[in-house]
Amino acid sequence: MTTRERCMNILHYKDTDRIPAVHFGYWGELLVEWAEQGHISMEMAKGAVHDGSPVQAELDKIIGWDCTWHNCVYPKLGLYPAFQRKVIETLPDGSQRVLTDKGVIEKFKPGIVSIPSEDDYLLKDRKAFEEFFLPKMQYSEDRAKSEDLIRQYNGKLEYDAPIGLRVGSVLGDIRDITTVMGMSYLMYDEDEELFADIVDAYAEMQYKCVETALKTGLKFDFAHYWEDICFKSGPLLSPEVFDELCRKHYKKRNDLLHKYGIDIISLDCDGVTEKLIPTWLETGVNVLFPIEVGVWGDQFEPARKKYGKEILGVGGMDKTEFRKDKAAVDAELERLKRLFDLGGFIPCPDHRLMPGSKFELVQYYAEEIKKIRV
Amino acid sequence: MSILTDISENLQKGKAKIVKELVAQAVEEGISPEIILNEGLLAGMNVVGEKFKTNEIYVPEVLVAARAMNMGTQILKPLLAASGVTATGKVCIGTVQGDLHDIGKNLVKMMMEGKGLEVVDLGTDVSPETFVQTAIEQNCRVICCSALLTTTMSVMEEVVKKAEEAGIRDKVKIMIGGAPVSEDYCKKIGADCYTVDAASAADAAVEFCK
Repeated sequence: MTTRERCMNILHYKDTDRIPAVHFGYWGELLVEWAEQGHISMEMAKGAVHDGSPVQAELDKIIGWDCTWHNCVYPKLGLYPAFQRKVIETLPDGSQRVLTDKGVIEKFKPGIVSIPSEDDYLLKDRKAFEEFFLPKMQYSEDRAKSEDLIRQYNGKLEYDAPIGLRVGSVLGDIRDITTVMGMSYLMYDEDEELFADIVDAYAEMQYKCVETALKTGLKFDFAHYWEDICFKSGPLLSPEVFDELCRKHYKKRNDLLHKYGIDIISLDCDGVTEKLIPTWLETGVNVLFPIEVGVWGDQFEPARKKYGKEILGVGGMDKTEFRKDKAAVDAELERLKRLFDLGGFIPCPDHRLMPGSKFELVQYYAEEIKKIRV
Repeated sequence: MSILTDISENLQKGKAKIVKELVAQAVEEGISPEIILNEGLLAGMNVVGEKFKTNEIYVPEVLVAARAMNMGTQILKPLLAASGVTATGKVCIGTVQGDLHDIGKNLVKMMMEGKGLEVVDLGTDVSPETFVQTAIEQNCRVICCSALLTTTMSVMEEVVKKAEEAGIRDKVKIMIGGAPVSEDYCKKIGADCYTVDAASAADAAVEFCK
């Protein structure tokens, strides 16, 4: 049985021989750490270890992973052309304010590598939207050229893993473009109608990209969204508002995916996602990913109890255990075995592995999870 | 409806411009700045805080309400100072060294100001020494440390140690918060308080300042 078959069988409640060792990649700082410790070469650490790349496949073999879940074909689903990245200001302490490709000004400081920190944003009113952003939210053939998508797809055939189609983001990208502050001000004080127009324009463009990709005839195993619209206490915005803005777009896109035979639709959302699951599940999204247990306290079991076998999961392995010891990883393996027995669930670290993760524990986990027999 | 109720209700809806206009109108009508602050702006923020704690409202509603409160307090600040009204307590807040994220920190700051506390905002990437030095120089009763990243939360423990070294540990309470932080972590590093949300953090700070 191949890893691709194994994963898809699990998510369709069919027989499988064992649990696949699936992962979700690494923070760059961890790879440098591992290189400094002599586990991998610095060339590999600083190489193209992105999702589904040849270097990542090589690293998978060294560690013992079967595959990453993020093995997807990407149409150009964002602002296109993107904003030209440029430094707006350099401050006396060496920190910089930089205009990013999404039209957001982010802060960078020497020596600090982390998740971007937003300082300001350009999309503040309808004039800015119509003049600078709407032209970048239009569909064009360049976004989903058949030859490009086929080339990406064929490049993935040698890597034994389910092949997904990236289908965009209904609100997460807009949150990135407007920032949390901007999104809040537009939605609740300044121009609610404009915010809805932004969401609609962006979603329509992404729908057309997905449609074009599907028309290529390529056989995708699953479709994959990215949202990241939740945090420690739940959704960043009211579930009712989220539903009002997003439901119709998920429905339209997922109906299209179903028409092309794609019945596994996963969605990447960090944080505690519980309150947004109804919108996703009722419109066709059926795989929760990455189910962040360690940092945020999210869980798969309550969702399964509430929604039954309709809800599937990839993730749920507490990656923070890799910073501890073998006993902690053993306990996690036991917990995951119980979750796996529920069916329709593939264990996977609950986000990219972070600095401080011990190489030998990651290797140990990858080997041991494969030994658990079904 | 009284103008104070009007201020409170518009603040809860996040209508910043209207709140600003109403506060100016209330001043013109001769209502004391302290009453406008307590019965208009802070009353509104109290409702926002309670609703946030019970998930009746979410981050965007809090952010717009806090912006509305700021616009109102800009008008009142000089008047309050002139009439000798003082804050209910003073705290310093910042995102710890190595971390540039400030949404959570700003949210806590806004909720604390909404409780009538004076907040010294140290910004982001704040060293343990700066937290402690500020608490000493500005006579803060509470130090609030925020972190988004698992890689930076360890700085919080350094803040506790620096406060001990400076001999102010019995005079200042140390509160921690942020995505990777938990009650267990708070106990482990010897901090005084962890809360699950910004509104609860403001409540705790008020208690510490009593």
